[in-house]
Amino acid sequence: MKKVLILGIICFIFLVGCGQEAAKNEEKYSFSYNNMEFVLSEIFTREKFGTELEYSEVASCAFEGLDKTFKYEHYEISTYPDGENDRIYSIYLLDDAVTTKEGVKITDDVSKMKEAYGNSYQEQGTSYIYKKDDTSLTFYTSNDLVIGIEYSVVMDN
Amino acid sequence: MKVVRVSLIFILLLMTFWFLNVLVSPKYMDSLVEGSMISEYYDTPKNHEVIFIGDCEVYANFSPMVFYEEEGISSYIRGSSQQLIWQSYSILEETLKYETPKVVIFNVNAMRYSEPVSEAYNRLTIDKMKWSKEKVEIIRSSMMEEENFLSYVFPILRYHSRIFELTKEDFTYFFQKKTHTFNGFLINQAVNGVKSLPSKRPLTEDDFADITYQYLDKIRLLCEEKGIELVLIKAPSLYPYWYSEYDEKIKEYASKYQLDYYNFLENILEINLDYSTDTYDGGLHLNLQGATKLSKYFAPILKEKYSLTDYRENNEVSVYYEKELEKYYEEIGSGV
Repeated sequence: MKKVLILGIICFIFLVGCGQEAAKNEEKYSFSYNNMEFVLSEIFTREKFGTELEYSEVASCAFEGLDKTFKYEHYEISTYPDGENDRIYSIYLLDDAVTTKEGVKITDDVSKMKEAYGNSYQEQGTSYIYKKDDTSLTFYTSNDLVIGIEYSVVMDN
Repeated sequence: MKVVRVSLIFILLLMTFWFLNVLVSPKYMDSLVEGSMISEYYDTPKNHEVIFIGDCEVYANFSPMVFYEEEGISSYIRGSSQQLIWQSYSILEETLKYETPKVVIFNVNAMRYSEPVSEAYNRLTIDKMKWSKEKVEIIRSSMMEEENFLSYVFPILRYHSRIFELTKEDFTYFFQKKTHTFNGFLINQAVNGVKSLPSKRPLTEDDFADITYQYLDKIRLLCEEKGIELVLIKAPSLYPYWYSEYDEKIKEYASKYQLDYYNFLENILEINLDYSTDTYDGGLHLNLQGATKLSKYFAPILKEKYSLTDYRENNEVSVYYEKELEKYYEEIGSGV
């Protein structure tokens, strides 16, 4: 009886933690441009995306490795370190050459954005944030026009 | 007899539970050392006339050793990675239980964050705090949606998977610890100059969130109540961008409540900062050389403006600082 009790306590401790880590399996935000798929959290390689026009790196406050930013003509890809690899955590669109999968681009008006993505957004000032699984899609707007679009990973830990 | 046996089993279970909790908790000694900084304060003499609170922009950019060496100032940096303003408030409350400084310096970068950013940063600030009502308050106000309070009380609930990833660090520092900072200043001597910075995102809110003002008010009122001068600063980190709209709002606040505000981004030339050599990560934090320049610039301002004591003339305090300086120079070698 005692053994069962002890085993029970140990199982409880482990299960409480494991439950929190249950993987979600919803679709993430992604898009394609120039026959390339842009998927957040994927490993970034220059073989796939080509040589950038500009490169910068900054450290996060405490974590080991560098956050790197690769700037291309129409978008900017930022990565976070994951062991030997760099994974994509943000794609920031720089102009209207790139359109989201749902057909919205910089210079479109907010009503077109709402038509494409619906009304389940979080408003932060004049930016609109849509969330799907662990990814977010932010539309920066000014005077009801989309002036910036950013895909990001929502990083919790 | 049965009662004794049951009690012994119960005690054994408790001890095992405690042992496992300590074993799997991150030690923050050889890796992620930023997680140990908040607790280093508890072991230092409490004789500080200046206390800094804020995020990495304070613990990386200001050196209390330089403040002492230059002007005899006794100061401590109670900074931590991504310290949010409600965390700064609770850390200040906790600090004031130990001592009452003349000046509290708050780095305003945290005003841009109105909600918790990540569990990992929460842990770095909270895990090693001593248990107190301030710690309880910090946990409550900082938890992300998926977090739960109990996992801070019993770390095994959060870190149980580390049982399969234990390293030498977990055993070496099971009972002991070491210090990484000099009065809260974390030295980094690497040089990685600014080459280019990520694109500036459009600013879609030209004012800070109400909650950040509420906590800034609380910090101000707490300082007022204790007769402490509150000083606002913005460290000269080039990234994340400090928008001019943000700066205006802080200037308005400072003027409204007659607080001093130093935005060191406006004094880069006077400080003689060279971002090709004085930063270790492309402009986010200053390295030792940059922090030394900034601290040498700020030390006489602090001393004169707030009539601080020259502790070089106080034997009791100077003994501590002289020892620390010896270790400091040993660690930095010919770094500056």
